[in-house]
Amino acid sequence: MCASTHRHSLHCILPPYILSQIAENGSPELRAIAMHSLLIDPTIRIVRASTAGPVTGTIARRRSAAGNVLTPSPLRTIRDAGGEPEAPGPIVVRREGQGPTGDVAVDEAYDGLGATFDLFWEAYQRNSIDDAGLPLDATVHYDRDYDNAFWDGTQMVFGDGDGELFNRFTIALDVIGHELTHGVTEKEAGLVYFNQSGALNESISDVFGSLVKQRLLGQTADQADWLIGAGLLTSAVNGVALRSMKEPGTAYDDPVLGKDPQPGHMDDFVRTNQDNGGVHINSGIPNRAFYLSATAIGGNAWDQAGRIWYNTLLDPNTRANTDFAGFARVTIDVAGRLHGTESAEATAVAEAWTAVGVI
Amino acid sequence: MQTGKACSEAITGEVRVRIEGGLAHFPGLAKEQTVSFNDLGLPEREELTSLADKADFFGCTPANETARPDARTYTVGLTIDGRSREIRVAEPIRDPALARLVSVVRRLSKQQAVAR
Repeated sequence: MCASTHRHSLHCILPPYILSQIAENGSPELRAIAMHSLLIDPTIRIVRASTAGPVTGTIARRRSAAGNVLTPSPLRTIRDAGGEPEAPGPIVVRREGQGPTGDVAVDEAYDGLGATFDLFWEAYQRNSIDDAGLPLDATVHYDRDYDNAFWDGTQMVFGDGDGELFNRFTIALDVIGHELTHGVTEKEAGLVYFNQSGALNESISDVFGSLVKQRLLGQTADQADWLIGAGLLTSAVNGVALRSMKEPGTAYDDPVLGKDPQPGHMDDFVRTNQDNGGVHINSGIPNRAFYLSATAIGGNAWDQAGRIWYNTLLDPNTRANTDFAGFARVTIDVAGRLHGTESAEATAVAEAWTAVGVI
Repeated sequence: MQTGKACSEAITGEVRVRIEGGLAHFPGLAKEQTVSFNDLGLPEREELTSLADKADFFGCTPANETARPDARTYTVGLTIDGRSREIRVAEPIRDPALARLVSVVRRLSKQQAVAR
């Protein structure tokens, strides 16, 4: 059946395999018409409806051939663990396209996954964590009094916090971005989660977590607070966040939590067997390097500085065991390739790494 | 098996837990916490004993997994009526009984730490 009101010889007459050939090899006008016919073909519509997500392979290639490139969109599913230590949670509470539920953790998780997807697609043309449209799943209300959030390799897991020291972990958008970025790093450089490569892994998650927040808030580098996890600590804690990228070591100083141990310079690098060799501690050094780079370059941090860091993450010279100095060299090299070796951007990046004592 | 003692107030022992990893490193929370059964009520002691049996805590083979980024690793030690063992387990904990045991241990140790 032909559903089109426009009568063209390509509509209704030609079998799909010929339309496919035209869609790939015909003139631009014929390709567009052939694609239109293919897209209204019932079988393709069924495929689109059943997947409700990114379509890859032959169909995507044909759409692309006709200039009909679909914009990737997230495919989110939020589950509820109901306070049990179980992930994925047994109950699906919100699927892609459904409206807010009124459960603030559910809705924050949904929105946070979306904002993170948007940053990676709209700023860096990356289609989800794996750049192949990976569905984004999350479980909220994990366990009781659970003070953490993590990416378990397939999904996000969020605790509600204990209410005494920590609020719910969906409250901080940058934390959601941070966790999903671990998935990106795992797919790309695969930085080993130990010592300096592990601290870089952590720092990259802080960088893009912060950029998710800055972009959603429409903040330039100068306007951003550069805090990670603002709002997570309750009013009973003497602190403002988990970490400060601008001033590492100043996020909290509390009788129960202790003092923020992050250094901002290699002179204060912490050698420890705790925390996988200090991955959450020494990440303060590359964090500050990014902050200095972004503020020196100016404007929106996700545009220039973020692009340099993202390309560095994808660069073949960034390997699983890359250390701070190795990563710094690649960022400078990438900045030079993107903007010129004598550019203000490349200079800003080099000066930032020098300022924190890495090079 | 000594599950029959779960109903007795005479259950003795202690719980030890050290938590590593997580979204941030908090020096004040990185210390090992020890909770004596003497500081727990009967329901908590019974729950711990029951969960340890369900999880086969004293006989299970640890998974020996490495924690994913920001996931936690728990070093849990239990001493119950003379039986004692320490295991290291990383999130996500796939065994439901062990996950529940770790959850209870974590909350009890935190309550004790805050109370101090």
